[in-house]
Amino acid sequence: MVLLRFTLSEEGVNALRDALACLNKFSDEVSLEAKRDKLVFTALNSSKSAYAAFSFASNRFFSKYHYEGIAQNREKFFCKLYNRALLSLFRARSGDSLHDPEKGGSAIERCDVAIEDEAGKKSRFIVKIACRNGMTTKYRLPFEVSPPVHAKFDRNEAFNSWTISSRTLRQLMDHFGPGIEYLDIHSEDDSTVNFTCFTEKVASGDEVLKKPLHTSIAVEKDEFDTFDVSEDKLHIVVSVKDFRAITQHAAFLGSEVSAQYSMPSRPMQIRYDGDGVKCEFLLMTVGERGAPGQRAKKTRAGAKPAPRAQQLEAAASRAASNAPTPAPRPTPATRREPMPSLRPTAPRQSQRPPPATLDHESLFVPQDDDYQWEPVRMNEDEDEEEADARLEWDASDRPNPSAVKMSSVIANQTAQRSGPGPDNGMDQDQSLSYLEPTQRLSQARQFGLFND
Amino acid sequence: MASSVRSGSTQPPLFKAIASSTRQIYQLLKCISFTAKVHVQITQDGIRFAADHSRVMQGVAFLDKELFTTYTLNLAENEDGALPQFQINLAAFLEALQIFGASDVAAKQAKADAEPYRSNLRNYRPDAFSHQTLGVPGTCCLLYEEDGSPLSIILEETGVKTRCNMVTYTPEQPDDIPFDRDDLAFKIIMHSKWLLDSLSELAPMSPTRITISASPNAPYLALSSGGALGSASVDFTSGRDLLDTFTIDTKWTQSFKFDLVKSATEAMRVASKVSFRGDGQGVLSLQFMVEVEGGTTSFLDFRFVPYIAQDEDDGMDTDEEEEV
Repeated sequence: MVLLRFTLSEEGVNALRDALACLNKFSDEVSLEAKRDKLVFTALNSSKSAYAAFSFASNRFFSKYHYEGIAQNREKFFCKLYNRALLSLFRARSGDSLHDPEKGGSAIERCDVAIEDEAGKKSRFIVKIACRNGMTTKYRLPFEVSPPVHAKFDRNEAFNSWTISSRTLRQLMDHFGPGIEYLDIHSEDDSTVNFTCFTEKVASGDEVLKKPLHTSIAVEKDEFDTFDVSEDKLHIVVSVKDFRAITQHAAFLGSEVSAQYSMPSRPMQIRYDGDGVKCEFLLMTVGERGAPGQRAKKTRAGAKPAPRAQQLEAAASRAASNAPTPAPRPTPATRREPMPSLRPTAPRQSQRPPPATLDHESLFVPQDDDYQWEPVRMNEDEDEEEADARLEWDASDRPNPSAVKMSSVIANQTAQRSGPGPDNGMDQDQSLSYLEPTQRLSQARQFGLFND
Repeated sequence: MASSVRSGSTQPPLFKAIASSTRQIYQLLKCISFTAKVHVQITQDGIRFAADHSRVMQGVAFLDKELFTTYTLNLAENEDGALPQFQINLAAFLEALQIFGASDVAAKQAKADAEPYRSNLRNYRPDAFSHQTLGVPGTCCLLYEEDGSPLSIILEETGVKTRCNMVTYTPEQPDDIPFDRDDLAFKIIMHSKWLLDSLSELAPMSPTRITISASPNAPYLALSSGGALGSASVDFTSGRDLLDTFTIDTKWTQSFKFDLVKSATEAMRVASKVSFRGDGQGVLSLQFMVEVEGGTTSFLDFRFVPYIAQDEDDGMDTDEEEEV
């Protein structure tokens, strides 16, 4: 049975290829999610610090688009594909017309894609590429039905924003050489914005593996279409590799790039639109200066800003789940005066490797304060727990096999995987058997399960 | 490497050929460089180079005597009149041919170093003052003194004379892969570019074997393969006019090792047309027509032995059958 069928023109294939090439810089695998009105390709990098999503509008981007759906889930269909295979089959064919000028050689004329999934038959992602000269190639790729992981972003929280032309941004990024790791964006004064790229020194013993490098470009604020950052001298630091992947793709589309963020250690959203395609990225920003709820040196308890009271509670009990002895409840009193912390000058241990610093969880369940349900974060001082603490898919854990295919929600699974700590593991299991996993911790508390 | 092989011999050498350029020779021989040693046979009409890969793939390049300005084969003194044949290391032979023109490159490099401005600007353009363009005489001479002596390549240009002596090995006398011209199952002539394109469509799936099938009606010619990443197939259903000649009796399907067919891609690149034939036993023959400068055409001949057809029950093949 064909679940989904769509047709792309040559331009469509080119646009799809650009998107896939961009996604490939984040992850080897790409998740596909098909709905009646759109087709979404997403990728999440392995350290879960960057997320990219390309949403193609079914009525504008495709020459033909027909979504059938399956009985279990009419709403949407999702699967995971190996991106390298997709890239090689959507690659540009030589439009060389040496032998046959009027036919345009082997350039793509049209591309039909169908997804077949039926019990008892092989599920395949089928791509049929017809070249101008009449040659037809048919590819059949296997896929894995697994739900995509989506990162959420709370726009209400992100009060800082700017927009800039993608070409200008690309030109700016071209000034930075290869091999740099971080990009720090901050406004210097009323008229300039500084783009600073830096690499921290990495040494193993006497051997210097990476040399520190610091490059800064001052940009007139006029170059930005809008620049609305409430806090002056707010340093926002992202990974250059990810940022560059975005700017390169944005420059192809030539549209306006808009970024939204709140503060360091909170995600930054970058968006731009093309013809029939919406591109959205979430990058975790590096940093330790969360405004309220300052992160302490070793404990992760206060890492998250706590605008609401119950969030603090949650954060506290989370700390308890991490450490064998309940950590003292952090108080928001540690709040520092917002001062320009020159991030580059503070090569903290926790900053390397970058993923360790990045605040993964907040990328995922940002507006949900239920940290209890999240996987235990791996930390430098908890190496023995690291293996258990990872967020992984494990089909055997799922209680309901019929729901395995379609209905799983990320929250369900993370809930089931969480709490591997020896002390609270039992509590977790109990809570699972009695409560809906998505229930808020504050609600769960009423049952007296989490009393410290 | 200059040695005095000639000393003492008064009679003319067994074989001597002189060419003014090695480009075409190099281009043709490179197409069959999938094995280390090649079998060389010198005939009155030209030199035949045959490469053989485990007796399942064979590539033959024929250097027509028209590629040479002088071509002499003195068979008279050979007692039984047999054609001289031997084996040489093809990689070393190609290396030697590349020496020709090397002094040009060196001169260009020296010039570029002396004038940095020039090196930055249009360095990639063909140099109007190179020896090749000016037609400054340079010669490449192939010399085979007598049976069992080394094959000498004497390159002479701008006063520099290079002599390379290739060790010749006793011929192994490999039989050609039998291809029965009288029992042709099908014959297709088309642009070799289309064949190259088809293979490059299949290659990304990293397949181990390629199945070629020709049928009297659509899809006429189909190439399919399956690999770890998925399966792919190319057909000519709506590309019938891409096949210049198409004669076929019954449906013909055989599978071959993909890597072997892939080693003929260099030939597909340089050739203009390919004659694509299969015989009743399943042997595939690819004959490439290479148009070299000066209007002469040369031919490259490849033959492939198929897999035995019975083991078609693994998962990959069933996948392909769904498509056909």
